[in-house]
Amino acid sequence: MSPAVRAAALGGGYAPGDEALAGVDFALDPGRIAAVLGPNGGGKTTLFRALLGELPLRRGTVELAGRPAYVPQTDRTRLDFPVSALDVALMGAYGRTPWWRRVARADRVAARDALARVGLGDAARTRFGELSGGQRQRVLIARALLQDAPVLLLDEPLSGVDAVSAERIEAVFRELREEGRGLLVATHDVEQARAWDAVLCLNRRQIAFGSPAEVLTTGVLQETYGHELVVIGEHRAVAVEHHEH
Amino acid sequence: MLAAVVSLPEPFDTPFMQRALLETLLLAMLGGVLGSWIVLRRLAFFTHGTGTAAFPGLVVAGPWGVPAQAAALGTGLLYAGSVERLGRRAGADAATGLLLVAALAVGVVLASDVYESGAGVDRLLFGSALAISDRDLWLTAGTVAAVLGLDAALRRAWLAGGFDPVAARSLGVPTAAADRLLLAAVAVAVVVALDAVGSLLVTAVLVIPAATVRLVADDLRTLRLGAVGLGAAEAVIGLWLADTLNVGPGPALAVLASAVFAVVALATAVRR
Repeated sequence: MSPAVRAAALGGGYAPGDEALAGVDFALDPGRIAAVLGPNGGGKTTLFRALLGELPLRRGTVELAGRPAYVPQTDRTRLDFPVSALDVALMGAYGRTPWWRRVARADRVAARDALARVGLGDAARTRFGELSGGQRQRVLIARALLQDAPVLLLDEPLSGVDAVSAERIEAVFRELREEGRGLLVATHDVEQARAWDAVLCLNRRQIAFGSPAEVLTTGVLQETYGHELVVIGEHRAVAVEHHEH
Repeated sequence: MLAAVVSLPEPFDTPFMQRALLETLLLAMLGGVLGSWIVLRRLAFFTHGTGTAAFPGLVVAGPWGVPAQAAALGTGLLYAGSVERLGRRAGADAATGLLLVAALAVGVVLASDVYESGAGVDRLLFGSALAISDRDLWLTAGTVAAVLGLDAALRRAWLAGGFDPVAARSLGVPTAAADRLLLAAVAVAVVVALDAVGSLLVTAVLVIPAATVRLVADDLRTLRLGAVGLGAAEAVIGLWLADTLNVGPGPALAVLASAVFAVVALATAVRR
């Protein structure tokens, strides 16, 4: 079985001499969810950009089972845009719509289905900017669902979302895993990572990759988070977020 | 094109007023369709800058014997390219403002000291909708057709690229090419608007109607249709005002558009 994602000696940065990320080597099989752990500035978003082929300077190789779907942090989107939840979900079909055609009727149906799947079937007509943070995150996931991608890259989809959204999002992740897709999910929640299939720890380079049991040790976490890690007891660790913006 | 006078009520019963009306109505279409993107993609200042940058081009066009639109397009594109280059080092806003002032100053020096353009300067800065030629009308009509075509082809790329630039590329949307074409379309639209409203007032037709409707419109369709409608209404009323009060059509349109914007902005602020 060929992997959903494979990276070999992957690294790079945004400007010459800037080494935002180095030495990333891992392979994720289809039907697996990998947590991407690391401090802010540790290279999680950089990894995604490298996998998408959008890092200005990239070294190493990337193999993907197909064009990945990317779910950015919602604060990267323009909340003042006059687009509804359905409009945003439909963007997932833009890539397969020729420029001279309208978006296909089947894709409009699929967009409504995707919104229903993330629990927002009733909010299709609501303006994106009027939704809550968790709902906006779910709309962006619906957009990724419409892309029907074999690989999904999700940048902190569970950070700062309400409990209802988090529950819905995790359920969709499990469904996507059942469907045989590969998911890379950036997160700050070490406990969350324990529930998935693999963990990739980054701190400007790859610290570790493997099953949660192998990787989530105090030693690895300390190396990943450095002074940002607070260890509670023997088996509990909490990564402390420092937001600089 | 309009050799025979169409039967319209006063003041639109003369050939030059009918040309002015047709030109401003065509510009209202541009302002509705392209203006919506200008406002959504935050290109209002760029649009104003491109118009101002056309001024030195217009000043030298006469003495050099070049078509005004060609000279204006030349300096406009030079400006757009310079903003792009300088913007990377100085920031886009700073580059836009800095080059805008430089272009205006160069134009003034050329007009007053080199070519002694005299009274013509007013016309270049504020337009002369009453002196529209057939060629002006054809150029504007052609631009409207081209922009409608571009909009049909690139609407999705402009929407996705503006909404979420990082993810747009991963959606398989050609954002870089689409964005460059949008800037070029804005530059051409500015150039065809110059004859009616001049270098300094292009935003009155290309930006303000869409910016006004944006205050109340929640979806793209309403924004575009509303901006075309408002622009057309402002064109008719602005020309009527200009004729009645005996002021320049360009300034009349600009004052009217700004006043409508102010009223709508105030009303929506109170409502909230």
